[in-house]
Amino acid sequence: MTPGSGTAAGRLHPFTPLVLTLCVAVIAVAAPDPLTAAALYAVTVLLVVVTGVGRAALRALVPLAPLWLFLFLLHGVLGEGDRVAVMGLSLSRAGLALAVTQACRLGAIATASLALHASFSPARFVDAVADRGWSFSWSYLLVATLQALPRFRARAGAILDAQRSRGLRLRGSPLNRIRAIGPVTFPLLLGALAEVDERGFALETRCAGEVTRRTPLDPPADRAGDRAARWLASAAAVAAVIWRVFG
Amino acid sequence: MNARLLALLPAAIAINLVIGGLVNAMGLPLYLDSIGTILATVLAGPAVGILAGAIGQVLFGLINGYQWIPFGLIQVVIAVLAGVAASQGGFRSAGRSVAWGLLTGLVAGALSSIISYVLFKGVTATGTTAVVTLLRQFGLSLPAAVTASSMALDLVDKAVAFLVIGALVRSSPNRMLGRFPRAARAVAR
Repeated sequence: MTPGSGTAAGRLHPFTPLVLTLCVAVIAVAAPDPLTAAALYAVTVLLVVVTGVGRAALRALVPLAPLWLFLFLLHGVLGEGDRVAVMGLSLSRAGLALAVTQACRLGAIATASLALHASFSPARFVDAVADRGWSFSWSYLLVATLQALPRFRARAGAILDAQRSRGLRLRGSPLNRIRAIGPVTFPLLLGALAEVDERGFALETRCAGEVTRRTPLDPPADRAGDRAARWLASAAAVAAVIWRVFG
Repeated sequence: MNARLLALLPAAIAINLVIGGLVNAMGLPLYLDSIGTILATVLAGPAVGILAGAIGQVLFGLINGYQWIPFGLIQVVIAVLAGVAASQGGFRSAGRSVAWGLLTGLVAGALSSIISYVLFKGVTATGTTAVVTLLRQFGLSLPAAVTASSMALDLVDKAVAFLVIGALVRSSPNRMLGRFPRAARAVAR
């Protein structure tokens, strides 16, 4: 089972969610006012829910909630210009519009990228890249890093626990905590250097650095619907940029 | 891309993404999300450091939301400055490492404040934004508050990152440095 393989998003060609996410980001940055940004956010959430990765919209709320709060405080409450009363609070009219626009832009981008993460299958992506005859090195780099992340996280957690059990104090004054950075980061960095050595030899023996075309065993199908979605999204992104620049 | 770089880059990128979490667990108001970039630069040159920083930022975006991608530009600047530091023997002592770290922090902080203000209207990471909000309460303008908070944090952050990498490379055995001649030059060995 690959991530999101049971969902509509997981069954798409691996390039399709990637292109859609990039297009959402471009359109979000080009969105000029609160209404357009809110409409884009609503469409993004709807698409994410319809394609079966609706949990991404909920997960996006975790990093977004504090940012929305600070946008409201910094621009709505502390903003300058004409004031407007909202539920007993005196807020800056221009600041509030700016806060809503920025909040919806960030909402759309975070939701789209977390949906992409939820549906991304490294193995299918490598096969799709190999099928196009593109560089193996780049797809390996992406997939090896995604696979290295949980391994390094687990190792970092084990180091933290081990150093704590040896009596390293991770709390107290900022100076004490800065002193603890060495004992916590050094074992991780040294372990990484040892791994680079071993992996380098392993990759050399498999001719990983060679420029040869690889044949994918089971390349993902690139259906007409996938291609149409990618072209439509790209056209919408280009139109949004043109509208923003010349409109 | 040769096999050694294919092995080094994922490790450097993972370090960038994981050490930030470690520092968070220690309750320190630092990022340390450029340690992998600096390590890759010292071992294999600024081009490799730029790749590690840029790809790391894209992956960070994939996991945490693409809104942070513009900050990838700072990783590029850090790799370039770490490359200059390494070629000048800037990691040969703790003092030199800190000095180069402070210089990098100054440049990175300035760039970070511009990105934070222009693209994010001053609202980025919660810790930094809390400082911005506090400074605004004291009457500072938004651009001044964003610049002050970004600069203060980046100066300490990059000084610590350069110090850690300098200490790591200085304590590495000659066998390891033999495989990465640039690292040997960075610590004047």
